[in-house]
This record gives sequence, structure tokens and C-alpha cells, in this order.
Amino acid sequence: MATTASQAPATLPVAAAEKPAPRIGTGIRMTLFYVVLLIIAIVFIAPYLLSIFAAFKPLSAILSQSPVRPPSPPTLDNFKAIFSQYGFWRYLGNTLMVTVILTAGQVTFSLMGAYAFARMQFPGRNALFWVYLATLMVPNVVTMVPLYVLFSHSGLLNTYWAIFLPYVLGTPYAVFLMRQYFMTIPKEVMEAARLDGCSESYILRRIVVPISRPIIITATLLAFVFGWNNFLWPLIVTNSNSLQVLTVGIANLQSNFTVQWNLVLAGSLVALVPMVVLFAIFQKHIVNSISLTGINR
Amino acid sequence: MTGHGAWLAWTGRRHGRSRVFRRTRLAALGVTVLSMLLSGCAGWGFTGSGGSKVTLTYALWDPNEQIGYQKSIDEFEKLHPDINVDIEQIPYGSYEQKITAEFITGQAPDLFWVNTPWLGTFIQDGMLTNLTPLIKRDHVNMAQYYPALVALHSKGSAIYGLPKDWDTIALYYNKTYFARHHITIPASLTWKPGGGGTFLPFLKRATIDTSGHNAASPQFNPGHVATYALGVDNDVQGGWGNYVAELGGTVIPHPYATQASMTSPAVTAGMSFLTKTLTDAHVIVPATESGPNANGANLLQMFDQGQVAMWEAGDWNTGGVKASATFPVGVMPLPAGPDGRVSIFNGLIDGLNTHTAHPKQAWELEKWLGSARSEAILGSGGYVWPAIKSLDPLFLRAWQKQGIDMSAFLAEAHGKVANFPNSPGVGDALTEIFSDLGPAWLGTETVSSALQKAESDANYVLKTS
Amino acid sequence: MSIATSAASLVPKRGRAAAIPTADGGRTRTAFLLLLPSLIGVVLFLVVPVIMVIFLSLTRWNLLTPLKWVGLSNYVNIFRFDGMGNSLLVTAYYVVLNIPIQTAVALGLALVLNNKRRGTGLIRIICVLPFLATPVAMAVVWNWFFSPTTGIINQVLAHVGITGPAWLSNAATAMPVVAFANIWQYAGYNMLFFLAGLQAIPLAMYEAASLDGASRIQQFRQVTLPLLRPTMLFVLVTGVIGSFQVFDTVYVMTAGGPGNATEVVNLNIYNTAFAGFRIGEASAMSVVLFLVILAVTVAQFRYFNKRTTYEIA
Repeated sequence: MATTASQAPATLPVAAAEKPAPRIGTGIRMTLFYVVLLIIAIVFIAPYLLSIFAAFKPLSAILSQSPVRPPSPPTLDNFKAIFSQYGFWRYLGNTLMVTVILTAGQVTFSLMGAYAFARMQFPGRNALFWVYLATLMVPNVVTMVPLYVLFSHSGLLNTYWAIFLPYVLGTPYAVFLMRQYFMTIPKEVMEAARLDGCSESYILRRIVVPISRPIIITATLLAFVFGWNNFLWPLIVTNSNSLQVLTVGIANLQSNFTVQWNLVLAGSLVALVPMVVLFAIFQKHIVNSISLTGINR
Repeated sequence: MTGHGAWLAWTGRRHGRSRVFRRTRLAALGVTVLSMLLSGCAGWGFTGSGGSKVTLTYALWDPNEQIGYQKSIDEFEKLHPDINVDIEQIPYGSYEQKITAEFITGQAPDLFWVNTPWLGTFIQDGMLTNLTPLIKRDHVNMAQYYPALVALHSKGSAIYGLPKDWDTIALYYNKTYFARHHITIPASLTWKPGGGGTFLPFLKRATIDTSGHNAASPQFNPGHVATYALGVDNDVQGGWGNYVAELGGTVIPHPYATQASMTSPAVTAGMSFLTKTLTDAHVIVPATESGPNANGANLLQMFDQGQVAMWEAGDWNTGGVKASATFPVGVMPLPAGPDGRVSIFNGLIDGLNTHTAHPKQAWELEKWLGSARSEAILGSGGYVWPAIKSLDPLFLRAWQKQGIDMSAFLAEAHGKVANFPNSPGVGDALTEIFSDLGPAWLGTETVSSALQKAESDANYVLKTS
Repeated sequence: MSIATSAASLVPKRGRAAAIPTADGGRTRTAFLLLLPSLIGVVLFLVVPVIMVIFLSLTRWNLLTPLKWVGLSNYVNIFRFDGMGNSLLVTAYYVVLNIPIQTAVALGLALVLNNKRRGTGLIRIICVLPFLATPVAMAVVWNWFFSPTTGIINQVLAHVGITGPAWLSNAATAMPVVAFANIWQYAGYNMLFFLAGLQAIPLAMYEAASLDGASRIQQFRQVTLPLLRPTMLFVLVTGVIGSFQVFDTVYVMTAGGPGNATEVVNLNIYNTAFAGFRIGEASAMSVVLFLVILAVTVAQFRYFNKRTTYEIA
């Protein structure tokens, strides 16, 4: 929930031009500063780097060498094993499909609802929006058990539907996010279009959406990352191995092959690397839209 | 990727033409919807069984026994060419949970192993078929099985599975160790609460410290024990359960009871014998070394390394012992208590799914697995003791060829046995009991207060299951 | 081009738009249609479950046999027999370990990286990178890092002559390691909020303070911190709400062990509902957790509202 909700929208400058940075002098302080920077970099990169090293080593090398040593020579055997023997192709495919569906649906339907709340007048609009806001307060864990019961009675357990259904029709958070953004589009623009005889759907599609790229990208990113990383819900609604998603596959791999780090880390990388790539592509966007986001962990 | 396409359309990565935009977006939406439908279908798995062949799913947990069962099933498939059996191996730790979850989603296997901790629960939840009418109709001979096993799996006049195997508890011992220290293995041992009988003196002779003194000697140094005489764990079946049974005590007063009887004098005395008498005499592996909450996880390794001379365990561990021990291994029966020599007795059945899509074929498989021919395959392969009494010599011979004499286990099965406790929820109750008894084994709590907590927690579980 | 002008440029000229009657009834219907999917989602997957969980918490049920009504006894029994008290304590311990340290680290990172030196931009990005990482996958990486013999942590300690503990099997160190995993993942992301907050403080404030003779530390305490309160509130509230529901990391790293030293509430609910199939007790646990989170959140808002003396417009 963003407390700065009513503020101006997204693009806050990250590099401050005229803000009072702590004054760091030359010489020792400079060196100290860069040492600190180096330590920070190591702390945040080491886990990725060392995991990548380990995933390309055989188990014997992991156990005998220092983790800091790069693999020589690197081997693809671990990845071959998890993809061909331990089902990771399947898990990857499942996760991709489910996440994409979840993202497409969530963004589309939240967008529609957000527009209705932001720029349309209809009876009960504010009351309904308060209901949406109220549900934001409900922690995920509270709905887990009753949703399972609901799905069980509808015969939807252990299907692909079960994995994305609770999230695909739009979520209050995404609606809230996009509504805040839409509220910054001047009303006059919409009024003018209406007076010209445009339908609401036309206004939404041809006017609002094209200029809302930043927030739509944010919402899409958030939905995709959520779906990709989701663990607890897929864990409880799917039984069959063929329906598993990556997160559950990785957890099972860890419990079946506890100390076979070569396999287990290779499995983790299958989930982590796409997220790193995603981040690399969209990092400017993520960093710039901070005032509008606040992910639940 | 449909979603990707939809996303591209929304974020306007097109080249300016409104018509293209509209078409792309419509197409994206359409494909999204279609893929949603298809994904639902995919989840339902339209894998039609070709022709008239029926495929049954059979769930089990032990990967070693699976080899034997596969051999038996190969024979079954030859006799029934219209039936195909897929074995589903589920690790024991998550077995009960997985089968239950599969029942909830309507996708449980047609036949599945059932262990006694959850037998009562499965029956109460309506997961197991009452086989009595089918047994009568097909004239299955129930007299060929151990009566205790038939009783274990019956509830009134209903019986929920054909017995296929049994297990008893005995003492694996390190022959080399006893020979080296010139200790003869007696034919039988006795014990009494407080330490009377021949068992404790024997254990003392067999516990030797790093300087070579045994526990009966005044120079014995309990801080530097090289080998403990006995490893026994905090377990109802392989550990304290037998001692408690030899005093006439039980976890629950009778099958399907909704409360526990853990605070009876018999249970208290039997438990104290292990947690106090034998522990204070330093003849058994201390709880701090045998595993978390004294669960005995380390005992096999300690046995292999010569740190414990005798390991009290169930016969299903023979394969593991044979594979890891580098010395000849013998098997000795349990010591006899005031009520005589009693071993906890248990056996598995194959539960027949009440909602199976193929009841006729599932019953054929159940009959086969409970038949003499199948049990002979498993017995003679050394996988498991057959539940059909006359076939026991096959298993005995199979292990004799491997150099281990299993007759102590058999003698106990022919003697006095106490069935594993059976009641809805007893598995969970036993888990509570296990963790509540930990402190008593570690010496941080008295046996009576630990048993009181165990009984109160077990009562709650049994009442609410 | 501002949003307004770019929007205006998209409005079609007269005559080219589709001529649709714009009666108000039609507009309301359109609004309703636009809202329908998310409304169904909210009702079906949020409102209905909240009502259901309250109802379920008053029953005893295992999904296979008929439901049984037991009134409020679940609320007593989860504390007496299902370890709910321990779970709440363990979770509170986790929150207390995780949030203050994480907030301090995030603020510290923001202070250090709030300048334009070369390399700062890159390091900022590196700090934020972990926040997208799949928690389950990272938990596996940490399992390896903190593994007693093959993990790098203990190997580094061994180089300086210290025998590292079995981090995840030791009751004293297990929870701190789980907290560390979460701090590592989200400190950089929270740093971004603090950066934005820091950059929103007008230079004039600092100039006025230093004219008044305030040292840099005093400036920090009296200018920076108070003006960061809204950001702090946001970071703390979202952090606490999220931390109370931690699951993935604990499930993969400790499974609640050793014993039940790390059995957080969410894990207890999961075990009770989906391993033990005790729906009633699990629902009662969920309701209790909800109330606890609500109470803590309200308390946080109250605390901050009392102390925020001024805001930036």
C-alpha cells in the first residue's frame, strides 16, 4: 500500500541533481567509500555468482573445491539431468504458461476496473472502491484454506486452472495501482472525447492505454514476477507431477536430493536466471516507478 | 506465447496502425481465452487407455520392496493381459498426506499400501473398501494368514485388506564384537523393572569403555564408552513399545479407542526401565547421540562403526544392515519381561480405493497380491516376511543364503505378539507422544510428567480425529 | 510531452469517431462491464473466503467426512495442542529480527548511495537485483551457503580459525539465518523508497539547520529522520505485514526445525491444514493471525501519526 498514493506519478529522478549528499572528501574517505561499495557489491552478487559456478560443476568438484573457484571445465550435465530426468522441462513449460495467462488476465481486467473507478461516474462507485481497498488489508494466508475448500468442491483441484484462477480476474492491488495513475490524466481529455461521441471503450483503448505504458509495464512486471515466484498456492492445489510449477519442482528436488548441490543449484538457477534477465531489461522502469509500488512479501 | 502477444498489443509495440492494433488485440484476447480453456483440458489429462486394456495405479513407498513387487506384478500382468499396473512410488515421509490429498482431488490410486498408523483414519474417512463380501464370494482362505494380522485389519465383521506381510522386532548383533570379547550370546534373557533379571548384567558385560573395562567393572568410565551394548530408540514399534507390552501396557486400551493409556503403571515402568534404569547404567546409547529426541536415526551408522553392539530394530532393516555392516551379523530375540516375551507385531495391506474406476480389476490385483503365489515371490526374494504362515521358510532361507539367520524374528511371530495400536488419528497421536517423550529420554523431565503430557496430547488428537 | 498534451493529441477529430449514443444508462452499463471481472475476482476469491474462514474456524472437518460444529473450542485448542502460542512467538521473533535490521540496512544503503559518484548507480542496481529473486530458489542457495561443511560461510570462518555452527540445525542460529535471507532479498528494494524520500527533502532544510549550528549527526536526527517518517511508515508496515506471513524460505530451509524453533504461523497453518487435514483448526489459526496483523498495523499507524509533526507538501 503506498502512503504517497495521491502524489504525482511515476518518474522520480533517481540521481538527485541538487540534494545534499553526505560530503565525502578526497583521499581516505574516497577509498573507504569505494571499499564499502565493493563490499556491498560482493554481498549482493556473490550468491548468484557462486551458484552459477556450482551449477556447472560436478558434485565432486563442489565438495572438494572452494566455492569461489570457477568451474574448469564447466559441465552441462547437471542441467541435462534436471531437464531430462527430473522433469524440469515440464515444470518450466507449466510455469511459463500459467504465469503468462495470469499476467495477461490480471493486467487486462485490472486495467478495465481501474479505468472505471478513475474516470467514470456511476452510482456506488466510491463505496465499491472502499470495498476493494478493504480487501487489500486481508493477508494472503487468511484466504488460503477457504480457497482450497472452494476449489475442492468445484472439482478444480489438481488442474492448471487452480494455479492461476484466484489471480487472473484482476486484483485489488493492480486496480488500485492503475487507478492512481489514471487519476492523473486530466478529466478534460476524457470529457472532450465523450463530447466528440467516442465510446468509453474507445477512450480506454485509444487514449488511456497508450499513454499509460509506464504503469501497465509495472503492473505486468509485478504480476509476472508474482506468478513466477508463487509457491504456497501451487503447492497446495496441485498433486500430480505433470502439473508442477518450477517453485514446487525446486522444493521437491531439494528434499529428494538434499546435499546433491550440483543438481539442486542447477534447478534454482532455472528459476532465478529469467528473473535476473527480466530485471536487467526493466531495471530503469522498476527503479523509476517506486512511488507506485510496494510488493507484499 | 499468448500472454506475451496480448502484452505486446497492450503496450503498443506495433507500428502505428489502429486497425492492426485492434486486430492484434482481439487476436491476443482470443488466444488467451483459448489457451485458458485448453490448459484446463490439459489438466484433465485425456489419456485414454487404448482398446479394452485397463490401467491400475498402485502406490507404495519402499523402493527396495518395489523391485520384488514389480516381479510379482509382472506375473499378474501375464495372467491378466487386459490389465496394466503402474507403480507409483511415494516417499514414506509424505505418503499419508499425499494419498489423502489425492482422495480429496479424486485422483487416488486404485490400490495403495496402508500402514497401521493411518489404517483407522483411512477407514473412517471412507477410503478403504470392505472386502468381506468379495472374500466370501470368491472363497478366499483367510485361515492361511496369521490370525493377529487378520484381526489387525478387521473392524467388526469387516476386513479392509488381505494381509501380505508382517514385521517383528529383535536385536541385530555384531558377531565379531561378541566373539572378540568372549561374551556368549545366551539363548534367552529376562528383565524386571528396576533392573532384575539376566538382561541388565548381560548388557553391562557387553558395554566396554575405551580402556577395556566393561560396565560391570568398578573401573568402568561412563564418560569414555567405546561401545554401548544396546541401541534402542524412542519408538512405539521398534523401541519402548516392546518393553511396555511385556508388562501388559498399551498405548491405547483397545483398537479404535478415543483415548490413550500412557500413564498406566505398566507403561510408566516399561518406559522408566529404558530411560532411567538402562540409561543410568550407561549400557544403552544416550539420547543425545542416538538422534533428535532419541529417534535412533544414528543407530545404524553407530552399529556399523562398532559403537553399539546390538541394535533393536524391525526386520525391514535387514537389507540396510547387510549392505552397510562389514562384520557378520546375528539376530537375537528380545528379552522377556514379567509378561513374557512380547514383540510388537505389524503388517501392511493393500487398500482398495472405494472410488476406483475399475473395482473388478482392482479386486483381482488385491487377490493376487494376497495370494500364495505372489507372497512366495516376495518371500523367496528376501523382500518381506509373507503373511501366509506356511511360506515363512522361504524368507528364512533367502536370508540364510545371505548369511543372516532371521529365525529370531520368526520365533517371536509364533510367540506372543502385541498388535501395533490402531485407531483413527493414532499416527498423529504417536507423533505427539514421540516428541513429548523426548525430554524423558534426554533426562530433562521425569518419565511420569512426560507421559502425562503425552497422554493429554494424544487424547486430544484421538478425540478430534 | 506531458500526459495531458499527449492524451489530448489522441482524441480523434470530429467525425472520425464511432457515433455511439452516450446516454447515462449506457455509461453505467459500460462501467459495470469494465468492473465485472475484477469484481467477480474480489468477491469470489477475497470476500467469500474471508467469510468462509470465520465460519470454518468454528468447525471440525477433514474434507472427507461430514463437517462438525464445535463453536469456539478451536481457538482454545490451537494454543493448547497445536503450538499456536509457540508459532506466534517464533513469528514475532522473526519480525523483530528481520524488520529493524532490514530497515536500518535499507536506510544505510540509501544514505551511502545517495550521491552521484561513479559506480554508485551500478551498485544501486545491484542492490535491488535480489528483490525479484524467487524466494524458494534463493532458499536453496542459502541452504548451500550455510551448509556445515560445504558451505562458503563456514569455510570462510574456518580460514580465520572459527568452527562455524550447523547454522540451520541449531536452534539459536536457525531463525537469524532465515531473517538474513529476507534482509538480503529486500533491503535493496526498500533502499529505493528511502532514496526517494531522501531526495524529496529540500536542500533548504539542511541549510537552515546548519545555520542554526547543527552538526551533521544532529541534522540527520532532526531533519532527515522526521521527514522520512512517511517513507519509514510505508516500509515498516508493508515489511511487518509481509514478514508475519513468511513461508517459502522457512519451508525450504528449516521446515520449522530444529524441533519447532522456526515453526512460523504460516507453516503451522500449512501443516495443520494440508498435512493433518484439520481444516477447522487451521482456519482458527488464520483468523488469529489476521487479527494479530491487524492489531500490529493499527499500532504502527497510531505510533507514527502521533509523532509526525510536519510533512512535506
